[in-house]
Amino acid sequence: MKNYEDLNGLELDTIREIGSIGTGNAATALSSMLGCEVRIEMPEVRIMGYNEAINWIGGPEIITAGVLVHMSGELNGIMLSVQQMEFVNLVLERMVGHTVENYEQLNDLDRSALVEVGNIMISTFINALSGLAEITTRLTVPAFAVDMQGAILTVPMAEFGGQSDYIMTIGTNFICNGKAVPCRLLLSPDIRSLNFLLKKLGVLDG
Amino acid sequence: MDDKLVVGIADMKMARQNGMLITYALGSCIGICLYDPLIQLASLVHIMLPLNMETGRKSPLKYADTGICETLRRMEQQGAARSRIVAKIAGGARMFETAGGGNLGNIGQRNIESTHMVLKREGIRLLREDVGGTVARTLLFDASSGQACVRSYGKPELIF
Repeated sequence: MKNYEDLNGLELDTIREIGSIGTGNAATALSSMLGCEVRIEMPEVRIMGYNEAINWIGGPEIITAGVLVHMSGELNGIMLSVQQMEFVNLVLERMVGHTVENYEQLNDLDRSALVEVGNIMISTFINALSGLAEITTRLTVPAFAVDMQGAILTVPMAEFGGQSDYIMTIGTNFICNGKAVPCRLLLSPDIRSLNFLLKKLGVLDG
Repeated sequence: MDDKLVVGIADMKMARQNGMLITYALGSCIGICLYDPLIQLASLVHIMLPLNMETGRKSPLKYADTGICETLRRMEQQGAARSRIVAKIAGGARMFETAGGGNLGNIGQRNIESTHMVLKREGIRLLREDVGGTVARTLLFDASSGQACVRSYGKPELIF
C-alpha cells in the first residue's frame, strides 16, 4: 500500500487528471447555477504536512464557510468546498439577490444557498470521478460550518491522521466572469481508496 | 504578535518565566497547557487524535496519550516537578454536524475523554477547561502568569 508521499510522477499526473475532469464538471455546474462564465485554473495535487497545508490555504484564523461531504463505498474520504467571502457574495448576489459584509449576516436562506452550491459542485466532481474509474461512491448529506479555516481543514487531517502525517488535496480556484474567486474544492481520499483508485485506472506501480 | 511562540499541529513548545505560547484554530484538536508555577515553566502541546496506535511512533505529539507523556518528560528534564504541574485545556469541538458520516465518530469528544484520562493517570491536576461545542478556538498561554486565553469566532475572549 502506497502512502501519499510515495506516489511517483505518473501516479501524481493521473490524480491531477482526475482533478481536472472533476473540477471541470464542477465548473460547468457552477456556471449553470450562477448563470455566468466560469473557468478553472490548472488543478493542483498537493501532498503537505499539516502546518504547511494550513499556510497554503491562507492562514489558520481567517473565517471561511465550509461545506463538507463524506464519501463511502468504493472510495472513502472527505470532500470539502472552502468558500471565502468573495465567493460567498458572488453566489448570494446571483442566487438570492443580496450580498453580506460578514459571515454573521448570513440568514437561513443564504446558508442553504451556499450549502447547495457546495453540494452540487462536490457531487458533480465525484460523479465524474466515479464514471471515469467505474466505481460507486456514496455521499453523505452535506454539513456546513462557518469558522476559522485552520479548524475546518483539520477535519480531513484528523480523519486520516492515524494513517499519515500528510494530507493530500486535489483542488483549484475558480474564475468567474474573468475574476479569480477564492473557492477551493478539496478532495482528500484515504490511503486505501487512493491505492484502489490508482489500480482501477491501471497506473499503480507495484 | 512577533514575540509569540507558535505551536503547530502535532507540535509542542516551551517557555520559561516570560513569553507567550500560541496555537491557532483548534477544531477537534486539543491544546494542553502544562505549567509548573514555581519555576514558571510553561508548555503548550497541540494534539490531534486520542490514542497513539502507530507502530513506529514517529510523531508522539500528534496523540493525547503520548503527547502529554512526552511533554511531561521534557518538562521534568528542565527541572519541573510532577507534583507541581497543573493543566488547562481547550478544544475538542465538533466542527461539522454530519449525519452518520465519518467512521471515527466524534473525534473532538474522544480527544477530550482521552486527555482527561491521561492527565488523571499521570497525576496532573486539571485546573480549567474550555472544551466541546462547535466553535474553533485559538489558545494563548502566558509563561509568566500561567494564564490562558481562548479566542473564538463570534465570542468574547475567555481568560482562564
